[in-house]
Amino acid sequence: MSSNAAISPMLAEALHKHYTRNQRWGFMWALWTAILWGAWYVPGTALWFEHPYVDIAADQLSLRLAATAVMTWIHAITVFIFLLLWNAVLGKVKDYGRTVVRFRKISKWYALASLCGGPMAIFGSYMAMGFVGPVFAAVTSLFYPVIGAVIARLWYKEKISQRAAIGMSIIIFGGMVIYGPGLFGEMDISNNHAWLGYVGGIMSAIGWGTEGAVAARAMDVSDPDVGIHCRFTFEILFWGLIILPFLGIFTDLPIQDLIIGTFTHGKALLWIFLAAACHAYCYTAWYKSFSLIGVGRGEAIGNLYAVFALIFIAAFTLQLPQWYFMVGLILTVLGSFVMFSEPAESVAQLRDTEPAMEGV
Amino acid sequence: MKLHQKGYLLVELSKVANLWDHHLIKMALTEYGLVGDYWENHLRVALVELAAAGLITRIEEKLETIRGKSTLLFRYQLSDFGRTRMVDTGLLSKEIINE
Repeated sequence: MSSNAAISPMLAEALHKHYTRNQRWGFMWALWTAILWGAWYVPGTALWFEHPYVDIAADQLSLRLAATAVMTWIHAITVFIFLLLWNAVLGKVKDYGRTVVRFRKISKWYALASLCGGPMAIFGSYMAMGFVGPVFAAVTSLFYPVIGAVIARLWYKEKISQRAAIGMSIIIFGGMVIYGPGLFGEMDISNNHAWLGYVGGIMSAIGWGTEGAVAARAMDVSDPDVGIHCRFTFEILFWGLIILPFLGIFTDLPIQDLIIGTFTHGKALLWIFLAAACHAYCYTAWYKSFSLIGVGRGEAIGNLYAVFALIFIAAFTLQLPQWYFMVGLILTVLGSFVMFSEPAESVAQLRDTEPAMEGV
Repeated sequence: MKLHQKGYLLVELSKVANLWDHHLIKMALTEYGLVGDYWENHLRVALVELAAAGLITRIEEKLETIRGKSTLLFRYQLSDFGRTRMVDTGLLSKEIINE
């Protein structure tokens, strides 16, 4: 960034407005991520109460995991359709084609991001839910911004100011206050398979944390709307061409029946449709925030999903959250304001870099 | 096939010492056959994202009246990090960077 030392007051004011506007857009996209991620839990949970998924008993773990793989694949296809619509409206479909074909140097990072966010994080999260419990899964996911910020810092020197770090810590602590007390009713030391849940929890935190940092590497040179479209293209291919065929051929799990069952049950499809609408634009907003405020800040504000998920669930089930939800809410909002109070100019360049001495 | 738009902006900046954003945007609009405020703003945002990521650096700024509106303009330069990232992503060959 150039020096403001010898510029006119009018120019200085225009510059400040410019940086403030960019910072505000970055935080606004991150906030949309949190709102839509929170909303996603309603159709995402309701799906399990529809055929063919409601017919699977809670103790049939391998079948539940296979069902998760099937619903995640169909969900990814629907997200892809929503993103196609989004990019068609924005006029970016051609740029999507130009980006996705450059696999060896650019879109391979989106492929890797899809592996981190899809099979690793979502699968890990379901393992944590299945072997320990949903509260444990939610708590472990809260730590993903720490992983994302550390990787972004070490890998490409993303600047994390003291104020941003304090804001992130307060948001994570607020999330723990919301979900933490529920953990005591969920932990069962007599469960021999609990370690699988702990592994799953670690997988989800590492998976989502790594996804942001890996995707940001490709987004350095490509458009975020196009980037998220590439990422879901590869997720569809991983599930549809590798994982599901492998499960269908080498196990006796009824993969084909689950796929047919999902497509022939209108209510299941409706919930997938609504979940995908939330997820498509949640992810779009998430990737757009990375470009403007960085991976660490984008992921930390995205963590406000913990608050929005409970608000949406309360709105649809009419079950009010516990009193400590208010404490967590105050903490997470406070953490967000601490982060947003960072000077806009310091967010205008997210990495420690030096300009080149001259052009080639 | 043409380069994707952010790739094009980086490649054009790598060919010169520095460039004002409105010149670069005009070149991109011609390259992709685009017209209108929407596309101008879209390319301006792409440059903001490239600058935030540290691939390009703002080295000068000025206020200029364009179509009757006071507009903030930036002169951009490719950073060393940007040049390295262009090599990583196949937008620039190693031979050019070593010349």
